[in-house]
Amino acid sequence: MTGQKQDQLHERMTIRGAVDSASFVPWIRRHAAKLGLRQEIRHAGPGRIELDVAGPVELIDMLEMGCSLGPIDVWVETITRTPAAGGTGG
Amino acid sequence: MTQDAMIDEWYPVGLVSRLDGNGRKTALMGEPIEVASDTDGSARVTSKGRVLPVRVRYGHVWASLGQPQKELFAIPEADQPGRRFVDVGVVRVRCSPLRAVENFLDIAHFPFVHTDILGSEPHTEVQNYKVEIREDADEVWATQVKFYQPQAARSASGGITTEYMYRVPAPTCSVLYKTCPPRPGEWDVITLFVQPLAEDLCDVWPWMALFDDESSMTDLIHFQQTIFLQDRSILENQIPRLLPLDPGMEIPTRADLTSVAYRRWLKRRGYTYGAQLVAQ
Repeated sequence: MTGQKQDQLHERMTIRGAVDSASFVPWIRRHAAKLGLRQEIRHAGPGRIELDVAGPVELIDMLEMGCSLGPIDVWVETITRTPAAGGTGG
Repeated sequence: MTQDAMIDEWYPVGLVSRLDGNGRKTALMGEPIEVASDTDGSARVTSKGRVLPVRVRYGHVWASLGQPQKELFAIPEADQPGRRFVDVGVVRVRCSPLRAVENFLDIAHFPFVHTDILGSEPHTEVQNYKVEIREDADEVWATQVKFYQPQAARSASGGITTEYMYRVPAPTCSVLYKTCPPRPGEWDVITLFVQPLAEDLCDVWPWMALFDDESSMTDLIHFQQTIFLQDRSILENQIPRLLPLDPGMEIPTRADLTSVAYRRWLKRRGYTYGAQLVAQ
């Protein structure tokens, strides 16, 4: 995927906070699937999860909104998004 | 669940103007309480014989089942000369008290629920606005909210773009500041004070501090009651009845920024009475 088509974005989403919960990664995958977004988890560790996500910007916005709340056992402090190169494997 | 941080908060339990010596039986977070005036006329709230902490402010009696760590939030406009203070009354709603507040914060529903009053199609777009949790005050604020309204207030004669600020100073209270048609530069204040009777049942006590020298008190009350009765039918049909803090079953959008900030704040503070913790 080449990235920035007119209505498709390919972004790196970095989620920071108390996010080292085993429940959060599958939660993110489910939420992205509901939105029809392709995603690939690039890093999952204490304090930080990184994923590449591809799809329409409005839907990526919605994924960010959902993740900012997340499941009850995680606390998301910040979410940053940057343009990503390359494709998702999802 | 009752023993969470919400136990130590202040809640509205009745109108000051309706206090009497006979007392009024009601409930607070599942506990039966009685609200009465004492022999000296002051408000007295008891629960199973225990006298609860009480405040009298903004036309209402406030009480807490716990031990409040801070004073009831301030609304400086309540002391501003020239405003009319309106006790709208009470609307009982079979929903979570947190749902009632969240609905109040949801500007996107105006054109669809309050059609031709607070919104109208095709003016459904919610422009970008700013939301923050103010850590110093421990409150949620949404500012720079702009929305076209065909009749923004009882005193408005035509459509205008209304600017709003929303404030959540307590888990079941919200204060709305909105453009004041007859007095540019000032804000009308419309509050939503919610008494949690149970996790899925609440009494909503709207109260207003307005600059409006023309409308009759009856008209002001009727206008606001119309709005809240329209909301009630929506609120009572929401599923799940409790407010989900895990958005697993819902897909929040940009227009839900305030709602998401409110839920984040509830989650962070451990305010979970009336909340659904895990998506079902």
